Amino acid sequence: MDFLHSTSMISQIQVICWLLAGLLSFYFSVGNARVWTSISMGFFLIFVSQMYLLAPWADYPQLEAIHYIIGTVSIMVMTHGFLEYYVFSRTMEVGGSKPVVYFSILGIIAGSVVFVLINPTPTYVILRHIKMIENSTWVFLCIVNIELIRKIYLQIKGSAMANGFIAFGIVFLFIFLWKGADLYLQVYGWDSDWQVFLTNVGVPTTAEAFRMRVGFSRAVSDFAGILSGLSAGGSFIYLYRLLR
Amino acid sequence: MFLLPKGTPLHEDVPAAKILLPDMLAKLKQGGFTGYVRFVFPAASSVLFFESGKLISAKLDQGNGGLSGLEAIAGMCTHIFTGGGSLSVYRLSRDLVMGLHALLHGEMLYRAQELKLIDVKGLLEKLKVQQLNGCLRIYTENRTALIFYKEGSPLGFFHDGAEDIETSASESQKIAGLPGAKIDVLSTKPADELMMYDLLEMVNVGKLWESSQARFNAEREKLRKEAEERENKQRDLILLELEDDLKEIAVAYLGKVARNLVDKELTDRGGRSCLMSESKTTEFLGGIEKAAKLLTSASKIKEMIDTMRSEIAGRI
Repeated sequence: MDFLHSTSMISQIQVICWLLAGLLSFYFSVGNARVWTSISMGFFLIFVSQMYLLAPWADYPQLEAIHYIIGTVSIMVMTHGFLEYYVFSRTMEVGGSKPVVYFSILGIIAGSVVFVLINPTPTYVILRHIKMIENSTWVFLCIVNIELIRKIYLQIKGSAMANGFIAFGIVFLFIFLWKGADLYLQVYGWDSDWQVFLTNVGVPTTAEAFRMRVGFSRAVSDFAGILSGLSAGGSFIYLYRLLR
Repeated sequence: MFLLPKGTPLHEDVPAAKILLPDMLAKLKQGGFTGYVRFVFPAASSVLFFESGKLISAKLDQGNGGLSGLEAIAGMCTHIFTGGGSLSVYRLSRDLVMGLHALLHGEMLYRAQELKLIDVKGLLEKLKVQQLNGCLRIYTENRTALIFYKEGSPLGFFHDGAEDIETSASESQKIAGLPGAKIDVLSTKPADELMMYDLLEMVNVGKLWESSQARFNAEREKLRKEAEERENKQRDLILLELEDDLKEIAVAYLGKVARNLVDKELTDRGGRSCLMSESKTTEFLGGIEKAAKLLTSASKIKEMIDTMRSEIAGRI
């Protein structure tokens, strides 16, 4: 069962990668047009959602739940951003204000915190459910975003920014693999949380029987996680250079 | 153009556009004016003869022939409104007016008689006997002399190059002595009889003036509209070309999507004609710049906007 617990170092590398991507995306959102704000804030929130792995108070279940919810919010905000960009590419309409985006995100997170606090403290099973919802949302919206990015690319082909969207497409491909592999492990009960739970309650696990695919899925999740963080950071550096 | 003696000039080379013909004619009538008013237009000339305030003759000479009376006055009105003409007023003696009237409107007694072939002395004697009121025109291909007669006696001599009536017959005799010289003899009615006609009583100059003015205004309005339409078409063509060029610039910097961007920014401001307004052009470029921030770099945007601005400035 060691292979189920050998990824903490990789997770920490993932967090560092997302810290880099988060800082770059937040910096990018400050200096650019509003449409970028949602996309940039979405990437920044991924870092916030991953940060719990580093935090000394990570064992607080309510805080962990909030992190998962923030992770869900982040992909929704990003999708909203790409949808707005797609609408812009079709209509050339640029509207709205940045503060509305910032305050809306803060409002949604505040509402989620209130939701978690007024409900019973989440158990490991509940936390796993919340994490599954997060992963499901990510997998589904990654596909939506890849399709949106494809359409945006076709629409703005020939502009400097078109290549930037290819970079985002690559980022979402990595994220899809990362979250998709995670979701696969959760759906079949091969994720580390569920293994701990089964061990504690003394129920046998099927993970040993499918050692190869479990190991492969965990490797895909870990490395795609790192690559998505690195590619997101790299994409924002590339975008920054394109827009400079 | 009529070559006439000047007599006493009252006004010379006054711009015709400044005068109101009915008012001027009324003043001349009230003042009992005797003499003539001469108009010189770019494509015509005309003369009005007055005797004791009565308009006894009006003649208009233009490219397609001469007009007299009502038609001449109507033509004069048209030419005044067309513009570019000038007016001179000369006071003359009553007898000379009669002679000039003969020159322009008189009955032709003899036409183009070669002086060599006729008995000039006999002719003059005959005129004296007949107590001719009128004018003798002696001319060659290049030169002309006029001798005005009243009741058979010469009143004075006038020839081309002179400004006024002369008392000496020497120049007229010189012309008569030139090879190929010919003579016309024109007679007219006596001054008293001429005074029985007054075109001002017969023609409603005021109405004529008003209708000419109305027609001229209508024509001018039509021309203005045609010019405006022409100008609009030309402007539309320039704006269409400018729009195409702006799209090409935008496509070069932002890709094909920029064609829609230019379309949208122009439509938002009422179409391509907004480029005629400085403030709307600034708004238009602002809109392009704002959207372009989502498509390319700041340095390229600046370059594109500068190119567009100079393109617009060069065309409008």
